[in-house]
Amino acid sequence: MDERIKNMRNIGISAHIDSGKTTLTERILFYCQRIHAIHEVRGKDGVGATMDSMELERERGITIQSASTNVTWKDTVINIIDTPGHVDFTIEVERALRVLDGAVLVLDSVGGVQSQTLTVDRQLSRYSVPFIAYVNKCDRTGANPVRVRDQVAEKLGHNAVLMQLPIGLEDKFRGIVDLVAMKAYYYDGDYGETIRVEEIPADMKEMADGYREKLLDAATMFSDELAEAYLEGDVDEDMLVAAIRKGTISRKLVPVYLGSAYKNKGVQTLLDGVVRYLPHPIETPYTALDLDNEEAPVALKADTTLPAVALAFKLEEGQYGQLTYMRIYQGTIKKGMDIYNTRSRKKQKVGRLIRMHADAMEDITEATAGDIIAFFGIDCASGDTFVAPPLNYSMTSMYVPNPVISLAIKAKDKASEDNMGKALNRFTKEDPTFRCFVDPESNETIIQGMGELHLDVYIERMRREYRAEVQTGMPQVAYREAISERAEFDYTHKKQTGGSGQYGRVAGYVEPLEEGDYEFVDSIKGGVIPNDYIPSCDKGFRTAVQKGTVIGFPIVGVRVVINDGATHPVDSSDMAFQSAALGAFRGVYPKCKPIILEPIMKVSVEGPTEFQGNIFGSLNQRRGIILASTQDGNFSVVEAEVPLSEMFGYSTVLRSLTEGKAEFTMEFLKYGKVPQSVADELIKKYQESKKENK
Amino acid sequence: MVKSELIRRSPLRILEQSIHGGLGSGNIGVIASRKGVGKTACLVHIATDKLLQGKHVIHVSFSSRTDHIMSWYEDIYREIAAKRELEESTEIHDELVKHRVVMNFSQVGVSAEQLIGSLRALIVDGKFGAELIMVDGYDFTKGDPASLVTIKKFASEIGASVWFSATVHREQPEVDDNKVPVALSRYMDSVSVLITLAPEEDHVSLKLVKDHDQYPQENLSLVLDSRTLLIVEPS
Repeated sequence: MDERIKNMRNIGISAHIDSGKTTLTERILFYCQRIHAIHEVRGKDGVGATMDSMELERERGITIQSASTNVTWKDTVINIIDTPGHVDFTIEVERALRVLDGAVLVLDSVGGVQSQTLTVDRQLSRYSVPFIAYVNKCDRTGANPVRVRDQVAEKLGHNAVLMQLPIGLEDKFRGIVDLVAMKAYYYDGDYGETIRVEEIPADMKEMADGYREKLLDAATMFSDELAEAYLEGDVDEDMLVAAIRKGTISRKLVPVYLGSAYKNKGVQTLLDGVVRYLPHPIETPYTALDLDNEEAPVALKADTTLPAVALAFKLEEGQYGQLTYMRIYQGTIKKGMDIYNTRSRKKQKVGRLIRMHADAMEDITEATAGDIIAFFGIDCASGDTFVAPPLNYSMTSMYVPNPVISLAIKAKDKASEDNMGKALNRFTKEDPTFRCFVDPESNETIIQGMGELHLDVYIERMRREYRAEVQTGMPQVAYREAISERAEFDYTHKKQTGGSGQYGRVAGYVEPLEEGDYEFVDSIKGGVIPNDYIPSCDKGFRTAVQKGTVIGFPIVGVRVVINDGATHPVDSSDMAFQSAALGAFRGVYPKCKPIILEPIMKVSVEGPTEFQGNIFGSLNQRRGIILASTQDGNFSVVEAEVPLSEMFGYSTVLRSLTEGKAEFTMEFLKYGKVPQSVADELIKKYQESKKENK
Repeated sequence: MVKSELIRRSPLRILEQSIHGGLGSGNIGVIASRKGVGKTACLVHIATDKLLQGKHVIHVSFSSRTDHIMSWYEDIYREIAAKRELEESTEIHDELVKHRVVMNFSQVGVSAEQLIGSLRALIVDGKFGAELIMVDGYDFTKGDPASLVTIKKFASEIGASVWFSATVHREQPEVDDNKVPVALSRYMDSVSVLITLAPEEDHVSLKLVKDHDQYPQENLSLVLDSRTLLIVEPS
């Protein structure tokens, strides 16, 4: 059984947008004989690449959801998670990374390390995923894989080593020199399916020897045996492969492959690289938390005989019901057996168990540690852990960022309203960064997410998949309020309306808090407020900071200190102190010179240098602070900090300014103070909306 | 210390007095030394002094990354703020950042036209009113004097002054009749101020080689502190 697991690779394909990872995946499926014809992304035949199973993705030409697919290359089973590249969907990438043992980082031979590559690289580091790099599009004008290798070394700080050299570049890109076998490979046939092995072209021999030296130098760090053989001039291929593998798995070496997926070159050799250098499930350490033992970490073992542990990392509403993608870390799961969801504590029977090939599926009866499979008819949320008794483990919780943008939505008719409810229920289960609630004041349904495009995609999906037509309001930025000065309070809450009254007095001060949202300090001396009532004071202040009075957004960065107070022997109660705290805060808040904070995004715009004036201009108009610009030949990258509120519709503007040749990515950076003019505008709007609601 | 006081008492006021009120807009200044002596530190200190005065600065560099330059600015600012116990240091810092752009060229052999094209895009289209431009790492051995003439013309047009750093290679220590390193001789028509750095035992001394129309050859009463990398008055 171990042999089977050793011949298993779970890999993700990560990249910057448009680096061609969907095309690469498509080719991999083709060469592994899972599909019988090649479809291009945005292809002329209107079929679209196999991995982008959703209609919407086909239309937009981007990959949104990561579909998992299972292929066999030579004797090795490879599960591929096609991960989305756009920054708005990084939760998908992060989730996929949790279940991967290795990854292929796709880079554009011209663009090299781009902004998104940095994000993906950080994610790979966070989950310690070993990876190999693939420099794609070597047929493009300006292709320079050697420079891309340098960038992986300099900008990402990896010990990147070329495993191959290109034979010709740009439109003369013909084949590849392999520095391990020291042979030349050419990809013949209509789809490059026949590999012709030849001697290295004479004019490349010297260069190949030079790069082989570099490869050997890097590899000898990981094997004394190899170092010795190297000195004696007697290096055999297996020894070299073993050393590179060791370096790669420990993340101390990154093998760099190259090719052009679109031109059918270098894909099979990359697959050989995946099998040779990326780890199998037994080599990948995973830990779970033991819920019966104060969440102590426990190491999992890819052993088929131990009780099963699996993570539901993705849900999909398919044609035949809910499909749950799972990675099994330990044990075996069989059709018909019972498994426990450790979050909901529900026992469920395993019904249909399937292996996925993008849209097609294959029924199986059992799956073991290392497998990535899908279940039908299991009710759960994504991120849930399933175990076989007697275990009670949970996989560590996933890192989930807070949403920065919200949008009011309203169904256009009754049928749409029902469908919208179903859709929202599904989306919030699938995607933890997508949230939804009903605003108690306006009674509007509000959806929240990581960016404009993120929410757009869900609105589109509601329409297409759920037939829910919705109207949307203006996107709303998640503002915050904060205090800028310290101020003191002394407040008495008193109510005497027959029977037992209410009495509580609290005094102290509030001041700005550098780190964190809220802190409560109890400096009461001599029990002037009894200990029993302190939590009520805390609760009252907490309630108060949930909604500021400047523009109605949560107040952050507040330290509340109480140092005095008074009680009444009969009339004091929990309620009375809560009210006292609430009243005290409301009273003191305006004295603290409240300010408004807005989310500031780190924006990176990339495009041809000829358009840099337009790019600078567009960022300046958006209250952007330009931090840096980098030019590399005719390609420029501008980095800036821009308020999120100014970034709405930027993709359209940028497209028209640059003939569609520039692209941008953004991610949340920090909260920053809004300028006075903008603050005045926000306050005016808030006052007006309050009047309307009355 | 408050900001205005810090600006008034900055050792860079001594530099300005020494060169008759400063470099002046439309003029080019050069700081020259061997590699690793402290040219970038000098440029960043001069730039930071201007930033404190609310002026806009573009820092042009020729390396592989921009974060390296940004950390230079962070370090120099931190040293200045700490040394003078600057009040409201964080707020002032946040303001400074808005007035500073790092412009980096990763490829080799950038022409004067390319450089000016990018500066113009930022200053005109990006409405970034730069008063000071720092060009760190321009290769004077490979460039030609005509480039500097073009850059000087551009500087007068936009009303900015430009400081360059120039590396004097170990193999070429010779100086001409005016005591200008020979590698820079042919550029002197376009250069208004030339300062050379010379490493001494525990500090780096600043020598004023050219001051507008004169070649005074005098040591400035300023040195580069080798610990903080700030320009200071000698103790």
